[in-house]
Amino acid sequence: MSSLLPYTDTIISYTIAAVALPLVASLINFCLPVKSKLAGWVSTLAILLGCVFSAMVFAAVWDQQPQHVQTMWFTIGTTKIFAGILLNNLSVMMLLLVSLIALPVHIYSTAYMKYDDRYSRYFTYLSFFCFSMLGLVVVDSLVLFYAFWELVGFSSYLLIGFWFTKDKAVQANKKAFIMNRIGDIGLLSAIIILFAKFHTFDIATLFISDNLVFKSVIHDGLWISASGQIPAVWQYVACIGVFMAVAAKSAQFPLHTWLPDAMEGPTSVSALIHAATMVAAGVFLLGRVYPLFTDSELTVLAVIGCFTAFMAATIALTQNDLKRVLAYSTISQLGYMILAMGVGAYGSSLFHLATHAFFKCLLFLVAGVVIHEMQHIKEENDLDIDPQNIQYMGGLRKKLPLTFIVAVVGSLALIGIPLTSGYLSKDGILIQAFEWSEGRSAWLKLIPAGALFTSWLTAFYVSRLIVKVFFGEFRLLKKYPEIKLHISDGGWQYRVPLILLAVCSLFPLFSLNPFFYEKAWLFESLKPAEFMARENIYHTIIPIGVNILSVFVIYAAYAIYVKQNTFSFPQTGFFYRLSYNQWYLDKIYRKAIVKPILGLGKTCFWFDRNVIDGLIHLIERTSRMVASLTAWSDKHIVDGFLHLMAALVQSIGNFARKFQNGKVQYYLYSMLLIVLVLFILKILI
Amino acid sequence: MITLTDFLLVGALLFCTGMYMIVSKRNSIQVLIGIELMLNAAILNLVAFGKYDKLNNGGQVFALFAIVLAAATTAVALAIILNVYRRYKTIDPDEIKNLRD
Amino acid sequence: MTLVRLLFYVMSFIAIASALYAALSKNLVRSIFIFFVTLFALAGLYVIALADFVAVTQVVIYVGGILVLILFAFMLSGRETLNVIQHQKGKFINMAKVPAVILAVLFLAVIVNIILKADADNLPWIKQAIAQQNEITPTSSTIDNIGVNLMTTYLLPFEAISVLLLMALVGAAHLSRKEGGA
Repeated sequence: MSSLLPYTDTIISYTIAAVALPLVASLINFCLPVKSKLAGWVSTLAILLGCVFSAMVFAAVWDQQPQHVQTMWFTIGTTKIFAGILLNNLSVMMLLLVSLIALPVHIYSTAYMKYDDRYSRYFTYLSFFCFSMLGLVVVDSLVLFYAFWELVGFSSYLLIGFWFTKDKAVQANKKAFIMNRIGDIGLLSAIIILFAKFHTFDIATLFISDNLVFKSVIHDGLWISASGQIPAVWQYVACIGVFMAVAAKSAQFPLHTWLPDAMEGPTSVSALIHAATMVAAGVFLLGRVYPLFTDSELTVLAVIGCFTAFMAATIALTQNDLKRVLAYSTISQLGYMILAMGVGAYGSSLFHLATHAFFKCLLFLVAGVVIHEMQHIKEENDLDIDPQNIQYMGGLRKKLPLTFIVAVVGSLALIGIPLTSGYLSKDGILIQAFEWSEGRSAWLKLIPAGALFTSWLTAFYVSRLIVKVFFGEFRLLKKYPEIKLHISDGGWQYRVPLILLAVCSLFPLFSLNPFFYEKAWLFESLKPAEFMARENIYHTIIPIGVNILSVFVIYAAYAIYVKQNTFSFPQTGFFYRLSYNQWYLDKIYRKAIVKPILGLGKTCFWFDRNVIDGLIHLIERTSRMVASLTAWSDKHIVDGFLHLMAALVQSIGNFARKFQNGKVQYYLYSMLLIVLVLFILKILI
Repeated sequence: MITLTDFLLVGALLFCTGMYMIVSKRNSIQVLIGIELMLNAAILNLVAFGKYDKLNNGGQVFALFAIVLAAATTAVALAIILNVYRRYKTIDPDEIKNLRD
Repeated sequence: MTLVRLLFYVMSFIAIASALYAALSKNLVRSIFIFFVTLFALAGLYVIALADFVAVTQVVIYVGGILVLILFAFMLSGRETLNVIQHQKGKFINMAKVPAVILAVLFLAVIVNIILKADADNLPWIKQAIAQQNEITPTSSTIDNIGVNLMTTYLLPFEAISVLLLMALVGAAHLSRKEGGA
């Protein structure tokens, strides 16, 4: 299964090619001039080829024996660290998914970023991101995994702050970076603990083939495995660390606040990174290290996922920023995935991850088109509006017919209406959540209930979004009647990705049976072995109940926002404000974390300024005093001594010089005197 | 009988007189005279000691040599003095200090 | 007190007194001429020391040669020399001369001290010479002996002296040539 000779297998070479091509593209683009239009096609070609390779790898590995090759990386003492590629169902699915999502986004970007000043830089970053993400899913070592994890975070940072002249973008990428750092610390500590416990970084050994982690047990406060035992608290710490990493990358409560802000990046980036791929990295990590979690820890995961899903959905209800609504919807859906992981619906979670990637990407690209056109109107007519605000939109279905159709497809998939991929995956999660809560405490029954309620909320906010953007009258036209409108769906670079993704959001890609999620091939391959067959009432009741109510909700939204003739929400109620202000979480963070830290910083600054600097000044003054003292002594004593010596030598010289007066008799006199003195001495002695 | 010591004492006196002249005189010719005086003192000693060497007459012969040498010395010294006078227009040895640094 | 002794004292006195006068005199001409007296007195002392040939040579070379040379030099050096002398007139004790006097006196003291210490009359080789009759007596003639010795025992120094004399002659002649010719 694991061979020490890499690169011999074609599948492995294809994998390496798929991962490395974007990196090559990135390096080429980095060397190109910043405005070169070639960059887009280099990156797109690379990802297209990568896509083909990924598809081949996928075809070869899916439902087959996992492939695992590795080579010795380095040795520390007697510990050998291996690095290699691990291909199993999970990783090839992610490999294909990332490539497939990246391809339309690349095509779309060539048009979307056409007028940007740093066009090739954009593609450099984008390709680099693809490389990081593809690398992340195939590596087999936790160390490499961590490295790619960091690269993903880094490229995300670059892309969020791509328009770094915008202050908000800079703030947002800083925020994302710091939030991700918190998660990285967690991941790093988890990796360290795992290594300390099992003496290996190998994912296959840890979680798959030998499954050391699964075989270890917690007993009597000790974490026992074949390689020894350590206090159980480390297992909890590792789990918390992994959870922190997941929460940071996949935007789970309480680390989710960076994701809505990350919408400051280009919309195509939001589609790729913050909807489809990068945020999926957290769920992917969870999938990789799934055996680490014990039952109770999974329950915690479920609770947090459910809460995140619910909270994000409520926030999405009232947001007016197009991309923000979608961002919260993403958080909400990611909450679903975590919830699914928590309730043991491993397969459903990943299934939802795959389907969500397509339709959320689609919706973001739609948002991109809409924003692009709004920006166009704004610039053409010189208006002072926010192009992302849905309050100004409306009735766009006539102007942007194709966009409207694909948007509806994407929205229905997000709501989970039958015949879409979203229905298959989301209902799977709901059903399994209900099954899981069977026989558990009443409180835990709230989890599936919350998920169910959230799905109705989802129906509502998505409908609100679509209705506000595409139905009714164009409110901007109402406000500024004189403006001219020259908008359309855009060129083929817009249309092709949208259609492609819309098709992928429908059921046929995943299952030939549009109603029963159990029949989806993706799900069947990923589902756990002890999966319950279609045997109880939930499998029938829940989809029906959910969808009927969803349809009602959609109609209600349509009624509220288009007709404006039925009841409407109070715009000043507590819940409205709670939702509108995103549960005040940012403000709480600001008050509870940022302020104290700033205060601490100021205190440190004060301390630094007054005490440390004072000390330094004291030292400085003392040393200056000493220095001046030294200077004085140097000048007066040492130099004086030198001058004395010099003067002495000079005077001796002058004195001796007097004898050299050139007078012959004087010389003779001296000579005789010395002879005389010698004589006298001779006599006397 | 006149003892050897008597001659030696006279020689010493003459010698010191000559020395005084050499050291103190402001005239090169007088300095030369001083030199002659000292030479004569030396010759006197030679002669006095030569009294006790009848066979070889060492003292007297060398006294003769010394006298001849003194003559040569004087001739050269006078030539030098003449040259010095021609160049410096003086024969005061104190004025001739080109030797000074 | 014999006549010889008396003569010795007289001669010594004349020699020393004239030498002192020559030394102390500020007049160059006077000191030259008084130097004659000194030389004559010394020749007398040589005679008393039983070296009559040396005394004759002294008179011939010194008085006849050297003094005349000095006089010529004095006369050739012109009037300025005399002017210098005029300036120093009237100062018997010149403060500038005091160190020289001290030096001379101290030297004299040292030499006298040495002479007295040496006790020349009792030197071994002198005693031996007296004992072996190797002493010149007033009656003995020394001139022929000197002539023989010059041509035998002291031939090499003699010749060396003659070469030296020749060199001195040439040198003096060269030095006293007029400038520009050299």
